[in-house]
Amino acid sequence: MSAPAEIEQGIESVLAESPYAVDSNLRRSAVLELLKKEIAYACGRNTRFRNYVEHWPINFQEARDISDLPYLPVGVFKADPLSLVPPENIKRTLTSSATTGQIPSRIVLDAPTARRMAKGALTIVRDFIGSARRPYLVIDTPENLAAQGQMGARGAAIQALRSFATEIVCGLRSGESGSHELELDKLVSSAAKWKDQEVLVYGFTSVIWTQLVLPLQRQGITLAMPNIHVLHSGGWKRLQQQSVTRDVFNHNVSSVFGCSAHRIIDYYGMVENIGVIYPDCEYGNKHVPAFAEVIIRDPLTLAPVKAGQRGLIQVCSVLPTSFPGFLLLTEDTAEVMGYDHCPCGRKGLSFRFAGRVPKAEVRGCGNLESTRYKQEQRSGLA
Amino acid sequence: MIMTEPIQTVDSAQVIVRAARQLREIVRHEETAPLAVLEKFERWAAALNCRALQQVPGVTFLQLWLRRGTLEPIVLRELGPNGLAGGWFEDGCAHLRTFPLGVIGHWPASNIEIQPVLSLVCALLGGNGCLLRVPSGLVEITRRLLEKLQEVDPEGLLTRRIAAVSFDHARTDLMEAMAQSVDGAMIWGGEESVSQVRRLPFPHWARLLVFGPRVSAAAMDAKTWGNREDRSTWCRRIARDVWQFDQQACSSPQALFLERGAGCDPKAFVDDLKKAFEEENQAHPRRQIEPSLSAAISLTRALWLLGENGRAAVFPPSPDWTILLGEGPHMPNPTQGRTLSVLAVDDLLDVISKFDGTLQTLGLGIGDSKREEVLARAAGRNGVDRIVKLGRMHVFGSPWDGTELIRPLVRLVRHVQS
Repeated sequence: MSAPAEIEQGIESVLAESPYAVDSNLRRSAVLELLKKEIAYACGRNTRFRNYVEHWPINFQEARDISDLPYLPVGVFKADPLSLVPPENIKRTLTSSATTGQIPSRIVLDAPTARRMAKGALTIVRDFIGSARRPYLVIDTPENLAAQGQMGARGAAIQALRSFATEIVCGLRSGESGSHELELDKLVSSAAKWKDQEVLVYGFTSVIWTQLVLPLQRQGITLAMPNIHVLHSGGWKRLQQQSVTRDVFNHNVSSVFGCSAHRIIDYYGMVENIGVIYPDCEYGNKHVPAFAEVIIRDPLTLAPVKAGQRGLIQVCSVLPTSFPGFLLLTEDTAEVMGYDHCPCGRKGLSFRFAGRVPKAEVRGCGNLESTRYKQEQRSGLA
Repeated sequence: MIMTEPIQTVDSAQVIVRAARQLREIVRHEETAPLAVLEKFERWAAALNCRALQQVPGVTFLQLWLRRGTLEPIVLRELGPNGLAGGWFEDGCAHLRTFPLGVIGHWPASNIEIQPVLSLVCALLGGNGCLLRVPSGLVEITRRLLEKLQEVDPEGLLTRRIAAVSFDHARTDLMEAMAQSVDGAMIWGGEESVSQVRRLPFPHWARLLVFGPRVSAAAMDAKTWGNREDRSTWCRRIARDVWQFDQQACSSPQALFLERGAGCDPKAFVDDLKKAFEEENQAHPRRQIEPSLSAAISLTRALWLLGENGRAAVFPPSPDWTILLGEGPHMPNPTQGRTLSVLAVDDLLDVISKFDGTLQTLGLGIGDSKREEVLARAAGRNGVDRIVKLGRMHVFGSPWDGTELIRPLVRLVRHVQS
């Protein structure tokens, strides 16, 4: 059973818009009304979600702003995927890339949601790299390329860009000990073949660095591919531990590919908000597409912050109807750069990712000072 | 060098070793009777009563705690009837007298503003020297509190016995130097920090007093919480216990267990509790919060309401406070940050039987004193160290965590005439 036609049509309508050209007020108003309908629909499909919504301090039907609507912390999907569809309609279960020892989030997709999410990501990426189909170089192994019933964050990110591909080449293979090895011959021959063509490259940030850039540099190999776009995601935590800054990363990746550093695009996204990604524009800002919204909330009040202030990131999307992922409070922080101000011309909120919020720790009679110190450092709010 | 500046930023182990040596010399050569210390504390309490310090959380409590009326009974109980004057007292054919342990190292937690001072006071009453490591976040507050002691103690009766130092928590060498220099330690904090400090190379004779990590709970019988006349008063007491120290102290209630009774509706009780929380929040608004706590509060609210059927919750859009209403005798995982689980149960004894040594304080509101005795006995058997009336869960006193505060920091010397 799919969502009511009214919701389906509403989603299709906003998806059809140019992602960053809609007037901010119109976009927020359209998204607000659609989200209200989706919340009502989800309440009818999941009694536990309804219990949450009914206890929210503001009646969502009377909300005047998206920030008043009942949001879920992303952590709830670690406990339960909160499906809104019967099991037979679940096409795919996605899992987040949890670090060692952590429980991954799980979300379920039915066919309409999966289709919309693919379309959403496509719409956004087109705005950054153009709509032409091109060779797709995946800095990952073929195992992560295969569409499976259960799919991780890396696989989902790779799949999201698949419709750009005229052909797909995986730059890594699984080694005997389970490690990843660079497919050097394949990489060099593909680079020679594609040469000046437009090529799309995607990989996790840390994988590109450790599995591609460092090995190629060690061997003194440069791939002459000036017209590529390198999209990468997955966060900077591991690279920060190696003191690799964004500038260092961009410089080295561009030198390995023989392209301009402007062609290296970092994007923020998460499995729970799949279908919406937030690439950096040429001015280093992230923007919100027509079918979504981002609210940066002050940790002290959980109210939206003003330009220049930092807070917790809440992502909003009208795309999912198979799980209640419309309004999600993340465990990340960002700074609001402004509204309708970015020189790149994209309208609405622009923001910059600031860091991850460390896991809260219960203290007995006393904080662990070392923990608090680390939290302040990592949260980016110190 | 001791206490010329209230807190010294230290970069060298030598400075710590030298300070400890000076303290030990003072302790050996200059005796202080608890009576003289109490008089000094009384004046310190008065000096703390100034506008500049009223914003420091816990200072009002500290003023009361430093009063002679509070501390004298503790000294008398722990050190005996001769404890105030010091000196020898008869014990059969022998004479007994307390002497300080020596130099006490203090590792207070960094989330309770007045804890460095509370820790010091216990050791000073025993006549000890104090080597205090002030957590980086509390340096300014502690400095202001110690400056007030300097004002009332120009001759240095107490201030010469205090060496307060500050250094980066990652300086293992300084931590080790401090541990090696002391004869005893008061260690406060969470599991990780307490374990770290305990692993330091203390002398084999050093006495370690460890406080934390613990959690606390509250419990009421139906006669008490079902009584509409008194309910708002009880709710205010609960709110006060939840608010103080932002619910991060060992003695902060994380859950309130309500024993069911005929005609008593927990939802009606929560309505009154909500009002009390709103009033307390207005009187004592939070000025800052760690983003991780804000996110944790949101997650707790959601997980609670998305869980078992029949659960309810009351909370504002902000993370200011949260009341989770449900049922069951198990102690929930604490979230802190003014998040109270209110759980209806059939029998409070069932709740208490599930406590283990992690529960420090049980705040009670029980209408029948006989029943309360039964509950207190059961709580004691199940690891609870403090059983107090609701509204008084944070009243710091001896014993704390099942341990006396002064006696472990003194030696009782026996002299049999030759």
